[in-house]
Order: sequence, then structure tokens, then C-alpha cells
Amino acid sequence: MASPSYSANKSHRNTIFVVDAEILRHEVYPGHQHILRVQAEDCARQARPGQFAHLTVDRQRPMRRPISIMRASPDQGWVDFLYKVAGEGTRLLSQRKAGETISVMGPIGKPFTVKEKKPLLIGGGVGMPPMICLAEALRRQVDVQPLVILGSEIPFPFDSKPSQLMLQGMPDGVIGGMPLLEDWGIASRLASLQGYPGCYEGYVTDLAKHWLEALSADQRAQVGVYACGPEPMLRAVVNLAREYQLPVQVSLEEFMACAVGGCAGCVVAVKAEQGVAMQRVCVDGPVFDGLRVY
Amino acid sequence: MSQPDPRLAQTFCGMSFASPLILLSGCVGFGEEYTRIEGFSNRDCGAICLKGTTAAPRSGNPPHRIYETSSGMLNAIGLQNPGVDHVIQNILPELDFNETRFIANVSGSTLEEYREVTRKFNDSPIDAIEVNISCPNVKAGGVTFGNDPDMSAKVVEACREVTAKPLIIKLSPNQTDIAGNAAGCIEAGADAFAVINTLMGMAIDIENRRPYIGNNQSGLSGPAIKPIALLKCHQVYQVSKAHDIPIIGQGGITNAVDAIEFLLAGASAVGIGTALFYDPLVLPKINQGILDYMHRHKIQCITELTGTLQLNSADSVLTGTGCSC
Repeated sequence: MASPSYSANKSHRNTIFVVDAEILRHEVYPGHQHILRVQAEDCARQARPGQFAHLTVDRQRPMRRPISIMRASPDQGWVDFLYKVAGEGTRLLSQRKAGETISVMGPIGKPFTVKEKKPLLIGGGVGMPPMICLAEALRRQVDVQPLVILGSEIPFPFDSKPSQLMLQGMPDGVIGGMPLLEDWGIASRLASLQGYPGCYEGYVTDLAKHWLEALSADQRAQVGVYACGPEPMLRAVVNLAREYQLPVQVSLEEFMACAVGGCAGCVVAVKAEQGVAMQRVCVDGPVFDGLRVY
Repeated sequence: MSQPDPRLAQTFCGMSFASPLILLSGCVGFGEEYTRIEGFSNRDCGAICLKGTTAAPRSGNPPHRIYETSSGMLNAIGLQNPGVDHVIQNILPELDFNETRFIANVSGSTLEEYREVTRKFNDSPIDAIEVNISCPNVKAGGVTFGNDPDMSAKVVEACREVTAKPLIIKLSPNQTDIAGNAAGCIEAGADAFAVINTLMGMAIDIENRRPYIGNNQSGLSGPAIKPIALLKCHQVYQVSKAHDIPIIGQGGITNAVDAIEFLLAGASAVGIGTALFYDPLVLPKINQGILDYMHRHKIQCITELTGTLQLNSADSVLTGTGCSC
């Protein structure tokens, strides 16, 4: 059995910061979605796409909740999170108001590492934030052309607008994109089964397939897939990557206690050379090689 | 690096503890995980109990392994660990023994496994050995040994035969007569007790009609269990004090008041586990809170507190004014 990589050297020390962070903004969107902005300078400076922070939600529920980082401003020191109320912890978090403080512990975990020229980013529901974070990091790389496909079965937490960035292979009418990504010059398209205007009516993976089919073999060889979202979506994304023989990284979530690798509470089964290893989502992940988890 | 105030220091089974705070097995990996956090230092605790270790590697239980409940949490990790040989060869050499004391936690499914793992740790630089006869989350050994006084004593005896290092027995609260069990363990060669391990529990997802925890049943920790842990600690102290056997009191401690309660009830040191999940920087806060209390009560050394609880006498109970019946 392979084991989690219990830290042997000391380079991991002092990489996670705990701060009582002021809530700068806390906006609510349809479908019990919330965008939370906190002032957490060290976390903002060190955050990388795919990482998360462990947030205290309320005195009544003192266990922290792991929430993906959507955006971080190293200059202004704020960090944005998008979450959906899923249980008692996130319900209590949603009641916290601007001006209050919450304890923010982060950034935590292994980030995405992008090597390809045409990264395909797929985010579903509350799996969108790491993709937005990754897109923001990639916008600074001139020779990289990412495509972001976002899917949701509840209204998107932004007003979509027709994209000016043309894409090969998109079915007629699939023109809606995320304005923030559009502003960064990054192409995006939306998918939903709910018939939202401008969105592809179907699964994110089916829309991705349209795009992949329109690429030449050479172009396709430059694609790497990055995904975060519900488990059935991630499974479908990994199957798609397998079909097209593309590398794929997925960001996972699991009930979590310590978030620093101490308790081994948040494990996922990962295929390793010596069989299956139970690896910790918090510090061995949350980003894993998709082909090893599904 | 700053050390805790010298008034918090003590000698525990021959080991020097800089603080009465002991980080509990299963909460802090193999001693290096929490140092990822800026402001956290291993020097703020007296000792760290490493993750439960078995003879062969174990992959542990299926997810979910964690679930939060009112004032506590359930866990069923299932003793995931890389095996004693890996721990001794790859992990112990990387630990900085100047920072704190490191205590191995030995688990097993058979008497022979307990003996074997203990023997291997005896030939390592580890400071002490905690024998876990109270893990509620494995099918063989663990709590099934710990709830049977005869088996408990046999495990202690088997480990005692192969080590001269301090042997700390981690007792289960899931048994009728914890003090009786402790007495048997003392006779079998225990040097100290850790009181208590988690209480067995369950939580159910009513929409799916399934337990949240992959292992179905699990161990409850956190503030919810503190009153139970405190009484168990007090009960074990009634047996252990005559033998000068010290206790690490543990179960739901989140602040200095909780820690002092355990010291008064008979503990010499106190375990911190779930509280780290709430606040990973809690150690210096508890150390300072204990110091403030000692200052107010004009106490010079932490050891003066142990077992100084004054029970209400039968007379005062009968004549007390708190009873409304």
C-alpha cells in the first residue's frame, strides 16, 4: 500500500496563515449561492489556483469548512469565495455580514499545474471557483489560450453576455460567456439543462466534445483538461479525457477536519503504482491526476 | 524560539514536558503536519502522540471519515498508517527531538502485533510508547481488547516485556468499570494512563437513510464528551494516585478552564485534539490561561494542581441549598 506523503523535510513549514479576517462583501445570488470577500493579506499573496481556505463559520459549529479560492488580490489583500448553502455550516456562514470577522486559514493544498497551450477548464456548480482562479492566472501567459466551460443547473452567479471571442465547433446559439472572463480575454461558454438563453442545452462534457472535435490533431495534442465540480461531472470529464487521450487534473472535496494532513479524515482512493492509496484531499490534493481517481 | 513559561514544565515518567499540553494521537499525523501553519510550534506542547501505528501498513476506512455533530465530531479513520518499519526508518529521523517529546501510539489486532510493534519502537529514539487499547474504529483489537479487563492486562503485559520506555495506556470510555481496568493495567506494568479515547457513536443522513460515516459507527470527540471524560479521569485517579501513576486527561478540552478542570480531577497533563481543528493556534492561549490561573491562586508549579479537587462532603450535599426537591 502506498501512503500519504507524510512530510519528511521542513519546507512545508509556515506556508498556511490563520487570520481573523474582515468580511468586505457578502453577496447572495439565486439558488442560495454566495460570494464572500475577506481581507486576508498573507493568504491572498500566496494563493494559487486550485487551493482552498478553511473557514470558521460560526461559534455553534466550530469545525471549519473548506472553501475553494475563486479570486485573490495580492495587491489589495482580499480573497473571494463562491459557495452554495449545502448544510448547517454553510447556512450559518451565509448569515455572516460585511464588517464582521471570520477566521480564515489558508492557502491550503496542491495547486493546478498547467503545461499545455490549450488548457480546457471545466467547472460545474460550486466547482466554478477554482476554474475562475486558474483562468485569472493563465491570462498573464501570452502564448496560452484557455477555454472555460461552466455548467450549472441553478442560475449562474453572474449575468452572462454574448461572447465576442469566437470558437471553433460551437453549436448554433451557444454564445453566452462569463463577463469577467471575457474582460480578461479568455473565451468561455456555458452549459445547462435548464434552457438558459445563450447556453448549451446539455452537459459540459458534451459541449467540450463539440470543441475537441473541431480541433485538428495537432491542436488537440496541446489540450489539457482541468476540472472541478460534482462527482458525476468529474467522472464524465475524466472519461472524456481518456477517450481523447488528454491529461486531466481534477480538484476534489471531502468532509474535512484539520485541513493540514494531520487527521487523515478527508481521504480519497488514488490508484498508485503499488495499488490503491488513501490520499488526503487537503494536502496530497485537492488537485489530483484525474486518471488516478476515476 | 520561545518556550512555554518554566512554571508549566514537569517531569512525566522521566520525560521533561515543557507544557502540560499533549497533542493527541490521530489529530496531528506524525508530528510535522501542523507546522505548516505560521504561528504553530511543536515547542508549545509537552509532547506529541504520533498517529496509531501497526505492524503492517493499513489503508484505513472508506470515506466519509469525518462528520460534525453538536458540540463535537465523529471520526472513523481506521488506523491508516504506513506501518512501524516505515515510521521508524523514514519518519522518526526527520523529527526534531529538541522541539518536544514524541510518543509512539501502538495499535494491533493481536497480542503478538502489540508486542512486535512495541519491541520495534523500543529500539528507536521515540521518547515513550502509548498503547491504544481503545480504538473504536477497527474490527479486531482496539476497543475489543480495551473493554475486556483481562485482555487489557494481557496487552500491557506483552508490551511491558519488550520495553523499558514509559508505557502509557490509552483507556476506553466504552466500558463499565474503567477504574477496575486501570488497576489491572497497573499490575501488568503500566507507567501512565491516557483517559479517554473517543466514545462510540453514529450520525444518519435521513435523506439517504445511511450513516454519514463510511464505517457506519465512529468515535465521538469534542466538547460534547468533556463531562464524561472528566469523571472517567477522576475515577482512574482514585486508583492510580496510590501508585504514583500519572494521567493524561483528555476529551473535549478547548480552553484553559477545561484543562484546569482535568488537572484538578487528577490529571498531570492534558490532551488536545479536536480543539486544534477549531483553532490551530490554541496551544499558547491555553498555556497562558493556565499560567494566569496559577498566578491568581499563587501556584508556582503546574504539578501542584494535580488531584486537588475537593469533593463535596455527604453532609454538604444533604444540606446544600442548590437542591429544589
